[in-house]
Amino acid sequence: MRPANALDRRPVVVAGVGETGPRPEDPRSIPEMVLEAVTEALADARLGYGDIDAVVTASVDLFDGLTASNIAVTEVVGAVMRPETRIAGDGLAAALHAACQIWAGAYDTVLVAAHGKASMSCYQDLTRWALDPILVQPLGLDFLACSGLQASAMAVADPGAERRWAETAAVRRAACATDAASPCTAEAVLESAVAAAPIREGMCAPMADGATAVVLRTVAPAGKGEDVRLAGVGCDLDRHALGDRDLCAWRGLERAAERAYAGAGVADPEDAFDLAEPSCRCAHEEELFLAATGVGAGTLVSPSGGLFAGDVPVAAGLSRLVAAVRHMRGDAGCRRALAHGAWGPAGQAHVVAVLDRGTA
Amino acid sequence: MRRVAVVATGQTEHARSRDDLSQPELVRQAAGRALSDAGLEPDAVDAVVISNMELFEGRALPELWVGEGAFASGKPCLKVATGGTSGTSACIAGFHQVASGLFDVVLVVGFEKHSEGHTQTGMALTDPFWDRAVASGALGNFALSISQYMAERGVTEEHAARVAVKARRNAARNPHAHLRMPDITVEEVLASRILAHPVRMLDMCPQSDGACAIVVAGEDRAAGLCERPAWVKAAVTRHEQPYIGDIDRRLASMRTLREAARRAYELADIREPLGDFDVAEIYEPVSYSELAWYEALGFCEDGEAGRLIEAGRTEMEGDLPVNPSGGVLSTNPVGASGVIRVAEAALQVMGRGGERQVPGVETALATGYGVYAWADVVVLGSA
Repeated sequence: MRPANALDRRPVVVAGVGETGPRPEDPRSIPEMVLEAVTEALADARLGYGDIDAVVTASVDLFDGLTASNIAVTEVVGAVMRPETRIAGDGLAAALHAACQIWAGAYDTVLVAAHGKASMSCYQDLTRWALDPILVQPLGLDFLACSGLQASAMAVADPGAERRWAETAAVRRAACATDAASPCTAEAVLESAVAAAPIREGMCAPMADGATAVVLRTVAPAGKGEDVRLAGVGCDLDRHALGDRDLCAWRGLERAAERAYAGAGVADPEDAFDLAEPSCRCAHEEELFLAATGVGAGTLVSPSGGLFAGDVPVAAGLSRLVAAVRHMRGDAGCRRALAHGAWGPAGQAHVVAVLDRGTA
Repeated sequence: MRRVAVVATGQTEHARSRDDLSQPELVRQAAGRALSDAGLEPDAVDAVVISNMELFEGRALPELWVGEGAFASGKPCLKVATGGTSGTSACIAGFHQVASGLFDVVLVVGFEKHSEGHTQTGMALTDPFWDRAVASGALGNFALSISQYMAERGVTEEHAARVAVKARRNAARNPHAHLRMPDITVEEVLASRILAHPVRMLDMCPQSDGACAIVVAGEDRAAGLCERPAWVKAAVTRHEQPYIGDIDRRLASMRTLREAARRAYELADIREPLGDFDVAEIYEPVSYSELAWYEALGFCEDGEAGRLIEAGRTEMEGDLPVNPSGGVLSTNPVGASGVIRVAEAALQVMGRGGERQVPGVETALATGYGVYAWADVVVLGSA
């Protein structure tokens, strides 16, 4: 693969970000939610709909109960009479594709929007339809059960694992500014109901509703001085069957991160990042994330609680990008960040974005 | 922009039901044939784009299961889904990924296995407040706008029947096609039963099981992988209002396709489409839509489409053969149909169309049509 080296490519600036914020149950329709996120992102970028060359949306039909569910948002993302590409996967993967379009020279300004509404259905029931319908779906597994099998494999020779994960969950819950994740102690996490053994409910990020939007451009908004740039991107699809993977490692994330690092010129990830915003839906995944990305102890991880503030299906990865950008804007010392998205059973698919501070 | 080309194609034999192959196996067959066509090993593929409308099979995130069939394990893999334009949009996504310099070789695979789901149910899952109670999938919506189109442009049932006959006769020369009817007649089409006035059974596309793949490569790799690559001259997408009631006289106006074509022709320096293109593979889910697309694509003036088909100008021997493959009217695995359009147009440029080859193709057009009026236009050329 040819790395997209930030040095010899035109810049992709994260010019605007917006989101509804995760909510346990947003009473609005999907287009109303997406409109709020898009309006905020465009205002943040100091742009109007007329400035957008193309749109990349992310949504999943079965989760929305709609065929070609981007139909629901065509107007609010400004895609009428414009090019729209719809990625049926994590929103950060949509951002990766938008960056490709800009690097290709096809467009200068691309709007990326993702949404999910977990409250409309039983999300875990729907994930069964993403599993091999011949060999796995009949067993009644869902994504959470697959995570449970993964955590089991990790805990087999590691008696301290469950306590560690409970502590991680308690830290993340305490950092959340939203009501979705009630703060509690590690003891309370260990005493919460079993979700998918050995995962306890307290170790799981709460599902939520939300919409997230990002404007990517070749140039920064005027007068903003320093900007945040997408310096490297990478993604990966691992094998589907749990038995075909080493469940105790996220090899797919290793590969996705390697690709993103090659593009951004990250030589040693241990010292490279001031901030990491992973998409970890269960506490044990944070250990898989750190091992796979090589992010070191000096990196701030999920300072606002990560997905424990609310895990919005499909929008989660893009929300991590927004969280990283907002943090970088508020903290001049934060020079480089990593945002991560994941989907599929036990982390089958991963996407990584490396964000650098740049100057116009 | 870095130049990109389609360097190889592969497709399954399409049929109403491919019970002999699972969904990943269908994908594997098309992907494997495309890689063999390019003489590539799976390791040489940098990234994969998959196209599929998952609710037609009642699935979610199908790339997770079928990805291995597309040789995507351990690789970047994205899934594109935009209704009927899924396949053309997935091809365009592949073009952009290669043009970005991020990847040198991208495999695009589209598939659909309608026999394992219920297409009409999938299509009826529209907006629950405004559309679901009245939207009847493709057929009812087409019937309404076709009636408007016929009234406004003087198109007749006989004109549409000629399109239906041309498609199925052309398909008889395509070993991959689903409906191959070498002896079909206009009378037979006109005698087939009404599905929704004025659309008859033989005016409508079938539901097919099938998969189709293309290999996209950058300019430094293309010549080494293909004797005569099909270079991408233009690739344009336009989406439209989400409610059919907001689209005025859809088939007659079709502003998305008109605008996408205008932009693509500008990029590819097409001035007289009927003469400048040597072949076209257009996405016609119903016979009447092909006539409407003739006008939107500038093959003739508005109101002249009927005369164009009457004069045989879009037949295999005409000025601009349209759909030598048999088109969507003969083969429609939705997630693959757009990929088939691009693959068939590429095959024509490569000069490898077999019995359906049009002689001396230098410039080819492929289009996608999806949802109520979404449009993709792709122009391929030999240089």
